[in-house]
Amino acid sequence: MAQTNALNWFLHRITGTFLIFMLITHFWVQHYDHQAASVTHEVVTEKNEMPDYPDEAKEGVRARLGPDAAATPYQVVMQRLADPVYAVLWKGFNILFLVVALHHGFYGLNNVMTDYIRAPMGRLIARTLSWTVALGLLIIGMYSVITAGW
Amino acid sequence: MAVDTKERPSAPQQTDASAEQEGRFQSYRIRTGMFAWMMHRLTGVGLVVYLIVHIWGLTALTDPETFNALIAKYHSPIFKVGEFALLVAVAYHAMNGLRLVLIDFLGWSPKQKKLFWTLGGVTAVIIAVGGWPSIYALGEWLLGPGSMPTLFL
Repeated sequence: MAQTNALNWFLHRITGTFLIFMLITHFWVQHYDHQAASVTHEVVTEKNEMPDYPDEAKEGVRARLGPDAAATPYQVVMQRLADPVYAVLWKGFNILFLVVALHHGFYGLNNVMTDYIRAPMGRLIARTLSWTVALGLLIIGMYSVITAGW
Repeated sequence: MAVDTKERPSAPQQTDASAEQEGRFQSYRIRTGMFAWMMHRLTGVGLVVYLIVHIWGLTALTDPETFNALIAKYHSPIFKVGEFALLVAVAYHAMNGLRLVLIDFLGWSPKQKKLFWTLGGVTAVIIAVGGWPSIYALGEWLLGPGSMPTLFL
């Protein structure tokens, strides 16, 4: 137990450092890049209205699906996730991101819970429950990423 | 606070009682480091909650119609405010975390006051530059098209 705690403490710092770089990539590609961003930052929409994407995104979708294709949020994302070459790289990135973020987040959450839950049984229950949720999210997340664009 | 070593022994114990036990909860005098730690904790828990919602929401990727509806919702005004709040939480947590890593791994604790304010400045820049698109979008929606300066967008 003591050894796994030390290892997790160390990993928490490593995953944290990795997350800084992965989050920069994630934020850039999802929010700031005019071709790839699905949540395009400059646009606020009314209820049930589809966002209007920048010209770069529209061109990207047309290049992939033909001159009449509309740049819907799904197709904007599929530029990357259904691409014959880059999909593997992006899916690999997303899975690594998922594992690292889940470990970092749930290890941190367990640290917080251990500080406030005093009873050993309570700690055990909290730990078991939280890591079960993390495992469930890992499976769900990997399923979403891997099957996207099939 | 960093670990004391033979090369860098702990400072002499201060005698003023900075912690008083009253009932079940300990109350502390809140100093800069304590405030940083509390915010790190708060943003950390918030980000875990967001991570859970985010991964769950992305199951929409399996169906184009569901995904379009989800992303359209992410462009609504309330989500734009949330997007900005998310950036603030992530930027703070990342930069304060980086500070902890530099202190733990590179032994930068003698420089920690300087480090704190330097990274504080970096965080402010990240929030201002990265958050500008969200503020711009909200301004355009509130005040009408063309009312916000485009700047670097």
